[in-house]
Amino acid sequence: MEKISKFIKTFLLLELLRGMSVTLRNMFSRNITVHFPEEKTPQSHRFRGLHAQRRYPNGEERCIGCKLCEAVCPALAINIEVAEREDGTRRTTRYDIDLTKCIFCGFCEEACPVDAIVETRIFEYHGENCGDLYYTKQMLLAVGDKHEVQIAKDRAADAKYR
Amino acid sequence: MEAQILHLFQWFWSLFGLWDLLWGVIEPIWPMLWILIKIVAIVAPLMIGVAYLTYAERKILAYMQVRVGPNRVGYYGLLQPIVDGVKLLFKELIVPIRSNKFLFAISPVLVLAPALAAWAVIPFSNGVVLANVNAGMLYILSMTSIGVYGVIIAGWASNSKYAFLGSMRSAAQMVSYELPMGFALVCVLMAAQSMNLTDIVNGQQSKAGLFGWYLIPLFPMFVIYFISGVAETNRAPFDMAEGESEIVAGFHVEYSGMGFALFFLGEYANMILISALTSLFFLGGWLSPFHGWPLLGAATDWIPGIVWLLGKMFFILFMFLWFRATFPRYRYDQLMRLGWKILIPFTLLWVVVVAAWMQTPLWLW
Amino acid sequence: MLTNLFVSLMANFQALVFFMLAIITVIAALRVITSRDPVHAALFLVLIFFSTAGIWMLMEAEFLALTLVLVYVGAVMVLFLFVVMMLDINLERLREGFWRWFPFGAALAVVMVVEMVWVLGNEQTAKTGEHVAKHAANYSNTKELGRLIYTDYVYAFELAAVILLVAIVAAIALAFRRRGGTKRQDSEKQVAVKRADRIRLVSVSPEKRGE
Repeated sequence: MEKISKFIKTFLLLELLRGMSVTLRNMFSRNITVHFPEEKTPQSHRFRGLHAQRRYPNGEERCIGCKLCEAVCPALAINIEVAEREDGTRRTTRYDIDLTKCIFCGFCEEACPVDAIVETRIFEYHGENCGDLYYTKQMLLAVGDKHEVQIAKDRAADAKYR
Repeated sequence: MEAQILHLFQWFWSLFGLWDLLWGVIEPIWPMLWILIKIVAIVAPLMIGVAYLTYAERKILAYMQVRVGPNRVGYYGLLQPIVDGVKLLFKELIVPIRSNKFLFAISPVLVLAPALAAWAVIPFSNGVVLANVNAGMLYILSMTSIGVYGVIIAGWASNSKYAFLGSMRSAAQMVSYELPMGFALVCVLMAAQSMNLTDIVNGQQSKAGLFGWYLIPLFPMFVIYFISGVAETNRAPFDMAEGESEIVAGFHVEYSGMGFALFFLGEYANMILISALTSLFFLGGWLSPFHGWPLLGAATDWIPGIVWLLGKMFFILFMFLWFRATFPRYRYDQLMRLGWKILIPFTLLWVVVVAAWMQTPLWLW
Repeated sequence: MLTNLFVSLMANFQALVFFMLAIITVIAALRVITSRDPVHAALFLVLIFFSTAGIWMLMEAEFLALTLVLVYVGAVMVLFLFVVMMLDINLERLREGFWRWFPFGAALAVVMVVEMVWVLGNEQTAKTGEHVAKHAANYSNTKELGRLIYTDYVYAFELAAVILLVAIVAAIALAFRRRGGTKRQDSEKQVAVKRADRIRLVSVSPEKRGE
């Protein structure tokens, strides 16, 4: 009996029709696409996007060249060289992040004892030439200078969970 | 029709006083020229139809998947197919080394040409047809069956294993599904007692409108014809010839630029062809579904036949896209099983059933 | 002048088309036996079928012409190509023994030529081309052919059909064997599977029972 009903069902293509009804129903449902440049989804303050180097309010760069971020980076995307500055402080002479290697895990930010390297909310950056996404210290500092207000606000919002 | 067009030409060229000169030149070749004009009148809208079918496909698929689809180029992305065409036109043509250059070059043409040639016998309205041949149905069948050569040759000539596998698959598939398609058409042939496409449509004319179509007595054949048509055009869920996930893109992996575009055109032209044939064979072609009905019949009889035909074609094309949005791809052995073990025996049986039915007074069509 | 030429051309249009198709057929036939690549040979054979269909069309045998395209071009040659493309043919080995088999082949060719001369040279059959009567536009070649096959020549036709059937059965019986140890999927079984066949619902209490 069951076999017969199954046979009839197969020949009437009932299962196929049911599948087609699902797609047809979805065709008239409201689509949920976000029209990206015009519309954007809300972001968390913990969003991990483009990297930035921060400065203290007096303009001094925060990074002390401890190389913790270089050590923790799982993708080996960070390259640091350190030397003594004239005033005797330990500073980086080179701080490069290869964004094509970076996996945006945020470990560098976690490892940093002075909150120097941070990840910002920026994600629509791009490069037009090979090597454009190899960010040097100057570029990172420039990003930090430009978005300092937003960065500080995000750190403040997250402070109580740390 | 011919005289009117000729008159229009005469009026136009007489404006410049060139008509007598022109007519002296074109008079001997006018019959050929007239055929050429008719061919252009069929092929040009067909090509535009193909372009916008790709747009419709992307939009409908998108909406069925709760997306938006192309919406950047022009209003609602309406210029997208044109932009795509221009892009393909300017792309570099890459010919793989150790491929057979000549066969590699002609195979896209071999895919597209039969798809266009089959339109010669398609009637658009009563008498509006390029070639009103008696064996029109046979002509259609043979034209659709030679489309497979382009695919096979493309796969073989490009000297690539993916392409070759794709072409082997599609060759087996197209040969297998031709049989149920042919048997389904045999039923139509018996019902209409003619192989002339115009006669087949006229055979569906009745006072009952919709109920006079062969869709009603031959409904299983309609379903099988359409399934075979989907398989014949290598469309989802029977698109194993392309099979992106296993053999990357199948027989046209190695093609770029216009070569690829021609394959694309061929596939979509075939889809439009199958939809036209399905509406002619089973859905009464240009006949109104309400003809002869008490109220609706009188209210809709003024609509020209071509509108009905196009409407039916749109519906069938929508079904193609709907299938693609709904069903996952068949596995090769499942496809062969469906073709040989289910469709062919069933159609064979149904041919006998219809033949017996036609001998009884219960046959009303 | 130009138009005159054109008019005379159109008058003999049929002859022109015939000779074009005939030339294509002959050249393609030669290429079938001379081309080195078996795939090319098969494709030339397709071309022969095509131009032959054209010639038959000229003789108003449109049913036969279209069936030739449908059956031979659309199905038989596809399967042929299918096989030829998959074979890894060693041309050197094919050439071996050419001279040994040459007398046999030559004898066959002579027999065929004699047969053709005999048929074409015959008074009765020679005028085949002229015999073709012009028919009215609504004359249906297909209907005529069907009537003949199923009335006058029904025995011959049925006999041919039975022979073909026997050939099919024989071919399948020869090729059909099921090797042991191969793993294969049975779509029918796979399709028939129900949820209950694959899933066993077990109710597990969320905590360990007290010991």
